[in-house]
Amino acid sequence: MVQTSPVTLQHDAQMDYYGTRLATCSSDRSVKIFDVRNGGQILIADLRGHEGPVWQVAWAHPMYGNILASCSYDRKVIIWKEENGTWEKTYEYTGHDSSVNSVCWAPHDYGLILACGSSDGAISLLSYTGDGQWEVKKIGNAHTIGCNAVSWAPAVVPGSLIEQPSGQKPNYIKRFASGGCDNLVKIWKEEDGQWKEEQKLEAHSDWVRDVAWAPSIGLPTSTIASCSQDGRVFIWTCDDASGNSWSPKLLHKFTDVVWHVSWSITANILAVSGGDNKVTLWKESVDGLWACISDVNKGQGGVSAAAEGQQNEQ
Amino acid sequence: VVPGVDSAARQLCFEWGPAEMLVCETLFGGRGGEPLDDRCQQSPTPRRFLAGAGEGRPSSSSVFVVRKDQDVYVQTLRKLFNESHGIFVGLQRSEEELAGKSRKAHLVQVSKNYRSVIRACMEDMHQAAVSARDPALHSQYSTQVSILSAMELIWNLCEILFVEAAVAGPLLIRLLDWVRLHVCDVNNMVREVLSSENPSKHELFWNVVDVFVLQGRMDEARHLLSKEASANPTSLTMCRVLDDLMKKMPVPSLGNMQTLTELELKWQHWHEECQRYLQDGTFASNSHMESICKVLLGDENAILEKKELLTTWYHFLVTRLLYCHPTVKPMELRCLKCLSFIMSCYLPPQSSMDLFLGGESSAEPLDIILMAAFEFEIHQVIKECSIALSNWWFVAHLTDLLDHCKLLQSHNLYFGSNMREFLLLEYASGLFSHHSLWQLGVDYFDHCPEYGRVYLELHIERIPLNTEQKALKVLRICEQRQMHEQVRSICKIMAMKALRNNRLGSALSWSIRAKDAAFATLISDRFLKDYCEKGCFSDLDLIDNLGPSMLLSDRLTFLGKYREFHRLYGEKRFSEAAKLLLMLMTAHIAPCSFWMTLLTDALPLLEQKEIIFSAEQTYELMRCLEDLTAGKSDKQKFQDDDVETMKVEMLRLALARNLARVIVKEGTLEGS
Repeated sequence: MVQTSPVTLQHDAQMDYYGTRLATCSSDRSVKIFDVRNGGQILIADLRGHEGPVWQVAWAHPMYGNILASCSYDRKVIIWKEENGTWEKTYEYTGHDSSVNSVCWAPHDYGLILACGSSDGAISLLSYTGDGQWEVKKIGNAHTIGCNAVSWAPAVVPGSLIEQPSGQKPNYIKRFASGGCDNLVKIWKEEDGQWKEEQKLEAHSDWVRDVAWAPSIGLPTSTIASCSQDGRVFIWTCDDASGNSWSPKLLHKFTDVVWHVSWSITANILAVSGGDNKVTLWKESVDGLWACISDVNKGQGGVSAAAEGQQNEQ
Repeated sequence: VVPGVDSAARQLCFEWGPAEMLVCETLFGGRGGEPLDDRCQQSPTPRRFLAGAGEGRPSSSSVFVVRKDQDVYVQTLRKLFNESHGIFVGLQRSEEELAGKSRKAHLVQVSKNYRSVIRACMEDMHQAAVSARDPALHSQYSTQVSILSAMELIWNLCEILFVEAAVAGPLLIRLLDWVRLHVCDVNNMVREVLSSENPSKHELFWNVVDVFVLQGRMDEARHLLSKEASANPTSLTMCRVLDDLMKKMPVPSLGNMQTLTELELKWQHWHEECQRYLQDGTFASNSHMESICKVLLGDENAILEKKELLTTWYHFLVTRLLYCHPTVKPMELRCLKCLSFIMSCYLPPQSSMDLFLGGESSAEPLDIILMAAFEFEIHQVIKECSIALSNWWFVAHLTDLLDHCKLLQSHNLYFGSNMREFLLLEYASGLFSHHSLWQLGVDYFDHCPEYGRVYLELHIERIPLNTEQKALKVLRICEQRQMHEQVRSICKIMAMKALRNNRLGSALSWSIRAKDAAFATLISDRFLKDYCEKGCFSDLDLIDNLGPSMLLSDRLTFLGKYREFHRLYGEKRFSEAAKLLLMLMTAHIAPCSFWMTLLTDALPLLEQKEIIFSAEQTYELMRCLEDLTAGKSDKQKFQDDDVETMKVEMLRLALARNLARVIVKEGTLEGS
């Protein structure tokens, strides 16, 4: 018997908030959800709805229920929800003219808001207003040629941190970062209900492939990691609360395209998918330099690289 | 590098999970609209996640889960984590009370406690290794035993040098104890010889005597010598002399009140005496005893000849100290240039150094660590241990203890926190990936003044709230620490979960706890809807006991009050019920959509034999009814089915009848 079914390539895999479920998406247009508790792998759902390879998936905060967003080459963004034990499509957004490359949920404090970056250069912001309704705001021409990545800043209440009386929403300043084919990283800020470009970060010499805004650990500084087709990974830091002066630091120049950057939840380790087909882990050292720690023999604290984790079952 | 991945064909992309990292294969380049090359690959590695490709074909791309801190998952180490947690917390809390000598004694005790926990764990692990039938498992446990043994070795040395900070005199004693405890390769041999019929005839007899001498166990050496003396009358004189020398050897002792100077003086004399006997040729006819005398004189070559019995360079170091310089001071130890000499001229015969990861043939990690300790380079010790060990447990606890001994200078790291905090944060973060050990992590974060709280906030939100019990546990921890954001977030999550599972009562109580008005309204609506459909309320207990939390949302208030109405009715307190019912509408507590139901509920009250509604109240009711019907558009009226219209008619009739009765009653004089 000849096996002729097409091969699928996975483009993204995301753990949910608790690490109990895994969502994957691939070029076979499916989005799959697995239960991965206790090292198991049980397929819970195989979601079909996209008509092209699915690039990215993103889990919403569990307080909104089990919600997953996916974006695809078919220009669509689909939001899936689990109701009564089954996963269904709850909303479909078709407002882009080209492949949607990245989706990212905003901090749960802002409500249920999804940012989507597309190859048509625009960024859409979908906000859930209740009763199955979504409000759309679009930033047209955010990046010329296309937008490849979006990442939200952590929610920080400006000014004092006195607890607001219940029912009253604190005045958050919403920000997110985006990376595009214009080699730029841009920071967007919401003012009076409108999204404005607040900063333009220039340092890359080729398409920016991914941006990741580091989680907050209570310091007034903000940190963004960006990686690009030019093989470089930059760490951008802004020391003042007003978000005006961002300075880049080169983490490393890789020999090939860098596709993906991701922060650990306490923002002390940055994972980088290097063009040399390795995932490396980086940590900032005492003197402000970034050091690679994923080499087991030389790493501080023995963070296991994949091989270790798999073979050394200590 | 991930095994099983064909780097040429695939690239890796990944994402962070709460405690581990995912790695999956993919081929980038697809985004931005470029077409992809599909390629086929088999990945036979076990323990991966299968995704993609239909029709029963084996997977083409895989996801690997990379876990940091694998050790958290080992059963037997859990005891280590649990018990050391208790010691840690106790140490943090006891800090304030003690000072001076008693403080030091306390810290030494704490150190000993940690070590006994390590030893206990080693025992368990050893048992597990012995009883394991699977060879892979057996080797895994054995490795773990070796690692624990190395950890205890290092910790013990650190205790002597840093915590106890043994001064000249006791320093040597402690080091001797340390060596005796940890160099056990020779124990079998010793046992064998001692238990044999005729020890002095045993071929390894002199080896054992040597071992005793090298370890400074003079009494035991003398005991064996006496056996030799009785077995071999020819060597009687020599044995007596040697025995005498051994007996007279001045050693520092703990109870002895002699000063160092006295000791040194005595030692000089004794040393000279040994020298005389050697030079006189007293031991010339017995090479064994001659070499022992040389050892007593601290002859390096003589000691080195017994390499096999020393087994480790640090044994050699301590033996040399014993016989060359027993009053060694800590400061001198630090400056012993011979340390590197010792290392270079003494290569360990077997790989007892293969305890740590890596298999470098020159200085093993353990050697480096011990050297750093002897040189009092505390930071170096911590750094090397961090590199060599795969788990933060050891460095975190040791550093914390050393910090309490005030031995660590503030070593500012990126976040501005010191090394102790940095290590504790890393260790505790690792604990959070475990389904029950995370609770230990909470206490560690509590004792990290700079970033403990924010780390706790970030981690505690990621704990899966599988059961209500667990959620309550997490909540209690957050409430105790005034982590209001997290409390709200968790309550919201639980409320949502309960709602999804149709457990309205639970959802309501969670949303009350979260002070989430919007959600409370939503759930109240559901309750009311259920009531309309089923005619009764679920979760009566909850609604009856809402108390002040009823005020969270208008809808919730209505729900509570409405239920109260039903209760009053059930208790036949009709006039109170009537008053409440009316108030619900006139005070606009009830949503308009519910008025019809309320009016319908009024019907039985209107139909009672006894008059319940007063005239004024009846007028009010009528007004409500008219408001309700007037409010409807013509279209709605058209859509109203017969039942609706009939209901309105019935109400009008009942209200009119009641009005009539009440007017008469109120108009009639009492008693007439």
